[in-house]
Amino acid sequence: MSALQAEDHQLVARVVSSQDTAAFGELIRRHQSHVRNFLRKLTRDASTADDLAQDCFMHAWNKLPGFSGRGSFIGWLLKVAYTTFLQSKRKANRYSEILAQAGHVADAEAKSYTVDTDEVPDLEKFLAVLSDEERAVMVMSYACGLSHREISDATDLPVGTVKSVIYRGKEKIRTHFDIKDHKHG
Amino acid sequence: MTSKIINMAEKIKDAQDRMLDSMFHSDPIADDGFSNRVVRRIQRRLWLRRLSMPIAIGLGLVLAFQPALDLLQTLAGLLDTMPTQNISVPAGWIPKLQNVVLAGMLVVTGIFGLRMLED
Repeated sequence: MSALQAEDHQLVARVVSSQDTAAFGELIRRHQSHVRNFLRKLTRDASTADDLAQDCFMHAWNKLPGFSGRGSFIGWLLKVAYTTFLQSKRKANRYSEILAQAGHVADAEAKSYTVDTDEVPDLEKFLAVLSDEERAVMVMSYACGLSHREISDATDLPVGTVKSVIYRGKEKIRTHFDIKDHKHG
Repeated sequence: MTSKIINMAEKIKDAQDRMLDSMFHSDPIADDGFSNRVVRRIQRRLWLRRLSMPIAIGLGLVLAFQPALDLLQTLAGLLDTMPTQNISVPAGWIPKLQNVVLAGMLVVTGIFGLRMLED
């Protein structure tokens, strides 16, 4: 366990034992950037991501006694963030369905992402071709540097599935953008 | 040992991995009061949670006082109608209504006080 992880676990212990908001504030300061970056890449909207990040930390506060301390705190936190994202997505989908039933075009559809493959592929376009699950796993792996085991814990997917999701994501990106290995080697 | 080998295997990256690493890389986001906002939200929630119990107990006492008093008076009335010669209890055993109410309020206050001390 790294020194940073040990410090995280000490802070978690302080929060759980005495509801220490200052210790929790320190945990937020340490990890807000990772969580917000993760959610920004999932939602592709900074303000929505920041709202979700706030909700994520509120959920984390409530769920903290359930943190076993076996894995890294950031891995656990990204799991909470991913669950928060999925819940909000489900709510948005229900809202869209209700709007569709009422004969309105949902905002989500209006904002649907278009991929212009003529331009140089950037991260936004890469993310657009991935499913939510693939995007989450790829972001955890490449942006947050989580190991396959940590991603497995965070997403409740078996390690083998995590590997295949990463492989599938890479394949999608490769085929959509016609990327040859030697071009970037 | 096995986990170290697995970690090393994970770290062996091909060209696309390296490209994705650089594509996914993003600069750290400045806190800019974010953590303070969340902590304030949590503190507000904690205060609400702490206040909600005493307020609920207080409201409950206010609302339940009159019906409880009526119920006790009814029960006391029923006790009066019972043939006392069939009940052989020591004199003064049946508590007076005021004492019952007082004891009940003391119990509730005691529980409430203990809870506050625990918090």
